[in-house]
Amino acid sequence: MTTIEIPQTRLETGYDNTAEDCINREPLITGEATYHAVTKIVCATPEARRAPKIWYVCFTISLMLLCVLFLTIAYQVFTGVGVWGNNSPNAWGFDIINFVFWVGIAHAGTMISAILLMFRQRWRTGINRFAEATTVFSVLCAGIYPAIHVGRPWFAYWLLPYPNIMGDWPNFYSPLLWDALAVGTYSTFSFLFWYFGMVPDLATLRDRAKTRTRHTLYGIFSLGWRGSARHWKIYDRGMIIMGGLACALVMAVSSTVSTDFAVSQIPGWHETIFPPYFTVGAIFSGFATVIALAIPARHLFGLKDLITERHMDNLGKLMLVLSSIVLYIYLIEFFTAYYSGNFYERFAYYNREFGPYWWMGWAMMFCNGVVPQALWFKKARTTWWLSLPIALLALFGMWTERFSIIVTSIHRDFLPSSWHMYSPTIIDIGMFAGSFGLFFTLFLLFCRFLPMVAMSEVKSILPQSHTHLPEDCKDAQ
Amino acid sequence: MSTYIPSMDAPVEEPALYALLAEFHDPQSLMNAANVLRKAGYYRWDCYTPFPVHGLDKVMGQRPSILPVVVFTVAALGCIGMLALAWYCNAFDYPIVVSGKPYWGLGPHMFLAFPVTVLASVVTTFYATFIFCKLPIFRHPLFTSERFRRATDDGFFIAVEARDAKFDLKVTSELLNSAGALAVEEVRD
Repeated sequence: MTTIEIPQTRLETGYDNTAEDCINREPLITGEATYHAVTKIVCATPEARRAPKIWYVCFTISLMLLCVLFLTIAYQVFTGVGVWGNNSPNAWGFDIINFVFWVGIAHAGTMISAILLMFRQRWRTGINRFAEATTVFSVLCAGIYPAIHVGRPWFAYWLLPYPNIMGDWPNFYSPLLWDALAVGTYSTFSFLFWYFGMVPDLATLRDRAKTRTRHTLYGIFSLGWRGSARHWKIYDRGMIIMGGLACALVMAVSSTVSTDFAVSQIPGWHETIFPPYFTVGAIFSGFATVIALAIPARHLFGLKDLITERHMDNLGKLMLVLSSIVLYIYLIEFFTAYYSGNFYERFAYYNREFGPYWWMGWAMMFCNGVVPQALWFKKARTTWWLSLPIALLALFGMWTERFSIIVTSIHRDFLPSSWHMYSPTIIDIGMFAGSFGLFFTLFLLFCRFLPMVAMSEVKSILPQSHTHLPEDCKDAQ
Repeated sequence: MSTYIPSMDAPVEEPALYALLAEFHDPQSLMNAANVLRKAGYYRWDCYTPFPVHGLDKVMGQRPSILPVVVFTVAALGCIGMLALAWYCNAFDYPIVVSGKPYWGLGPHMFLAFPVTVLASVVTTFYATFIFCKLPIFRHPLFTSERFRRATDDGFFIAVEARDAKFDLKVTSELLNSAGALAVEEVRD
């Protein structure tokens, strides 16, 4: 094998690999970049006897919030959906706001795994597992809302097209049905894709297991994977197929969610821009989540050489692009409302920024459109105490965006006599807080027991993995 | 048929030879060795690597997988099936006018057909991949090798199975050694 000369400075842990030099490419993995080193770094956390202290603190808090979720859901199911703050005309409130919010967060995982896979962005290997995990868990959080939204969840199967005693069927023109199908597909897909990618890494954990329990458990879930080249070929093909499907799916899911609004006749909802608007916003909030979770994780679990400065830099750049598109859409919405000449349309947008919920409208502008512009500066992208607040503000901003779209559009509809303010009840708030508990409980368990970085994929982008075909096999097969 | 009763003093039979396992230093030397084996005319052998080595399938002379064909077939069935279901339910079995729309429309029903297509393809890809790989399999002779545990970490291996027509313990191990193996060992079932 030809030895690749790597300058010594690049082997330092935490080396700054963000320079843009097309001739002398910076490494994507810093530190001791050997196969075994990658295995050791990633397996260190699942194999450690104890997690860092802060993990136990976070896990306790998450479990408590999870209890809040279960209690509020139980109370709501036994009492009825009247415990929510929804009223007329605010038929939709926290239930849909939080649903759209969580579905949005779910988009980054697929974006990073699938779209960057198709574009052959090699840096994605450091963060894709991580981002996919946020996808799986946030779709789960999103799924709670429609499940309890039906009011009597034990009749949820009525939504399915099954031959019943009344001889009728669901209305396939209903956007709510499209929505359920899109989100159901998305959650199945994201779970299968996440697990599919993890099988070889689970096999690594199995082969390194020191105890019988670990060997058995990781053994079962790794399905007896043994790294056969014949298997890798089929597996790789499967990965590409899934990735290609995901590219289309990720665009379709939020677009479908947006039709819940766009096919209605409420000013502020009835817009053709909604599908791209929701999709871009969703991916934007997803990237914010990945940044907000990657920063503590790489510090806490010693992943700085796999999730490097360059990864954070690239994530910051993508977030900047998406933020700019989101800002453009905000502005074009106002222009469209003005240019339509329609009184109700104009009022809806005036009311969004200057009505009783003005602070929500301005918070969404400020947090999603203005603050992320700081990411033009490299220092903001690569300094954690700058990028973390930007990401958290963006998440808050995306929540206010959903609030603005949903509540401010319907709380003052066509007839002033039916205008009504919306405020969430304690049950609404408890359920929302509880969904964070569910997300973080699962996420912390994932960090503790599963490989947080896709080892096999990271190994395949190390410089020593580069091979060339022997001369005399070009015409093989 | 008489029942088989194991006798206490029967000699313990050595398990049958499954394969010769050779370890290589890096992906390139593994690929060169694979080229040697293919040219030598071996048929039942495989490489084991911790990550997919690009081009190894070509060197090993693997045929393209039929996975995409299978997935496409199921996906197409899913798409047509969903459109047909929507037609059967809303236009044929219980036609009812909702908001003055036609009973059946390709445009809005694509919102249903698309996710179902994706769902069908994803589930098929997932299961078909593992079925084509003959997984899950929890017991495999290679798992008895202590050295083979590194195949999922940093080891690059070739295993030539004993049932291969050209297999000969001496000749094959010499071939593997001359192809640059770091170590060659026998794996028994």
